[in-house]
Amino acid sequence: MTERSPSKRRLHRELLSLIKEPPPGVSLDAEQIEQNLFLWTIHLEGAERTLYEGESFQLQFKFSDNYPFDSPEVIFTGEHIPIHPHVYSNGHICLSILTDDWSPALSVQSVCLSIVSMLSSCKEKQRPPDNAFYVKTCNKNPKKTKWWYHDDSV
Amino acid sequence: MASPSPSTSHDINEPRDGGDTQNTKDEEKKDENLLECNICLDTAKDAVVSLCGHLFCWPCLHQWLETRPNRQVCPVCKAAISKEKVVPLYGRGSTKQEDPRDKVPPRPAGQRTEPEPGNNFSGFGFGDSGFHMSFGIGAFPFGFFTSTFNFGEPRPNVATHGTPMYMEEQFLSKVFLWLAMIFIAWLLFA
Ligand SMILES: [Zn+2]
Ligand SMILES: [Zn+2]
Repeated sequence: MTERSPSKRRLHRELLSLIKEPPPGVSLDAEQIEQNLFLWTIHLEGAERTLYEGESFQLQFKFSDNYPFDSPEVIFTGEHIPIHPHVYSNGHICLSILTDDWSPALSVQSVCLSIVSMLSSCKEKQRPPDNAFYVKTCNKNPKKTKWWYHDDSV
Repeated sequence: MASPSPSTSHDINEPRDGGDTQNTKDEEKKDENLLECNICLDTAKDAVVSLCGHLFCWPCLHQWLETRPNRQVCPVCKAAISKEKVVPLYGRGSTKQEDPRDKVPPRPAGQRTEPEPGNNFSGFGFGDSGFHMSFGIGAFPFGFFTSTFNFGEPRPNVATHGTPMYMEEQFLSKVFLWLAMIFIAWLLFA
């Protein structure tokens, strides 16, 4: 194997294991990711028997050279952003493991699973109450937002 | 969440048409997983185990502890963790039983640069002339004008280009130049 930075090595390992055993509802374009290991697009299917059954979404992961010590920047992209109390209409996600509670033992797979379960536990489809204000004023990078994780139940 | 061997139950349900060879292969794979660092996902180098039982390369864990010095928790289970409370692992093959924690682990980028005294980019402290060259790189306009107007003597802040103070200084230096010329002329002709 050619010389790789630690972050690339780890991303490559994650890619291999996701190709081999993709978790239910998660799929990706491996060739596209191989082109640029620091930018992943992942397709998510809403889980069965949830409010999002039959819907599909796109997640974008951006990694820094310091991954996995730095958390990835994760947002929903594309046409269809799920309507959820923790997902802003610009795709930003209010999820503590993406900032404060990030740990280098987490992975693309565990982030995807957390997001799927966040969607699955939703009881009513609605945007966050401060959506309009946030989308107008926020930084493009959701990691720059000082999230206030006040509600873990949804 | 991530337990050391997440594939255990999954393996049992798989059809075993590969026979014994397949089985041993699976076993081997599982053993490998058990010895993987929870951070880089490679086989752990300079392995250490936390009191909560989680395995890491020492360089990987060290970098994580440095990333959040105020909140040192196990990446896997969030238990409190610290340099003193991890146990180095020595396999049979390891001849030198040196504690991986004694080696200097690779530090995260940017943490190695010690601040030199006085070498801050705050824009103050131009008075002592020793630092002009280094300032010229970091804060170009300041450094440039400082060295232009500094004739060897340490002197107080030189104002920035375009400000009223700058104009005044230029005016003053012209006045001094004229005074000096008048003085020289007086010396010559008197
Ligand atoms: Zn490691
Ligand atoms: Zn632990």
